[in-house]
Amino acid sequence: MTTELELELKQLIIDTLELEDVTPEDIDPDEPLFVEGLGLDSIDALELGLALQKRYGIQLEADSEETRRHFANLRTLAALVEARRTQ
Amino acid sequence: MNSPSLHLQDWRAWLPDGDAGGDTRIATDTRPGGRSLPAMLRRRVNLAGRAVADLLAELDPDADSILLHASRHGDGERTLELLYALAEDAPLSPARFGLSVHNAVLGVYSIASGNRRSLQAIAAGGDELAALFSEARGYLAEGAPQVIAVFSDVPVPPRFADHAPASRGAAALAMRLSLDNGRAIHESPWQGGGDPPQPVDVIAWLRDGGELGSPLRGRAWTLAP
Repeated sequence: MTTELELELKQLIIDTLELEDVTPEDIDPDEPLFVEGLGLDSIDALELGLALQKRYGIQLEADSEETRRHFANLRTLAALVEARRTQ
Repeated sequence: MNSPSLHLQDWRAWLPDGDAGGDTRIATDTRPGGRSLPAMLRRRVNLAGRAVADLLAELDPDADSILLHASRHGDGERTLELLYALAEDAPLSPARFGLSVHNAVLGVYSIASGNRRSLQAIAAGGDELAALFSEARGYLAEGAPQVIAVFSDVPVPPRFADHAPASRGAAALAMRLSLDNGRAIHESPWQGGGDPPQPVDVIAWLRDGGELGSPLRGRAWTLAP
């Protein structure tokens, strides 16, 4: 079951990373976002970090283990936004 | 001393919404498919970049040729977006930054195709065709059996159009060149004037023949039948 925030994040990922052939249904909330699963790369990670900062006011360390955990899949990302959003 | 003469083995072109005159070497689709690139790479390049990748996939099927890519303005849209962001103190997009460099298109193509030969990106202030021929001659003289020379441009963004020569339209072309195989490209001194050749002019020359001159270099090229 996909929450409203998860759907919003799916759309943010698709728009920000210009995933022209991907629909929200294609993104499995439990599948990895990077390398495996959706197959995003390191440039996407930086771009996504910037989008989270712009949209939700969340500041992340670019290369921390913690950031890796937050970026693992859509559910961990949604949990991060729930916990840390300032806008 | 005579410089070694170039020969044209084969070519492909992208002339969006243009007149191919029945020539199957010219693709005229408004949006090139970019099918030679996986979707995750395709999204990173502009329309000319997609077209270039498709042209190269046809001329370099074994991904084993030296590649030259000339463009007067490159991806001006992306570069200028970055400058706007800087001017407004906004954070820079890492993806745009990574792909704003002049060798971005060949870089993306080489990742997708596995081509590990020399890649060279050229901007020559309007004299791109002459620069491509010069560079190609150099690689061929050093022993490369063939070189693929690509020339592409899209109009600069409207806000900057007054500061650049009028574009005759987005287009891209790729030529496979060698020293002794194919149609000879004769070079001769030339006194003509006007604008330097843009990609659309080179495509017309490839399709229809005749003489194509560079006012900056004072040279003209004629393609043997």
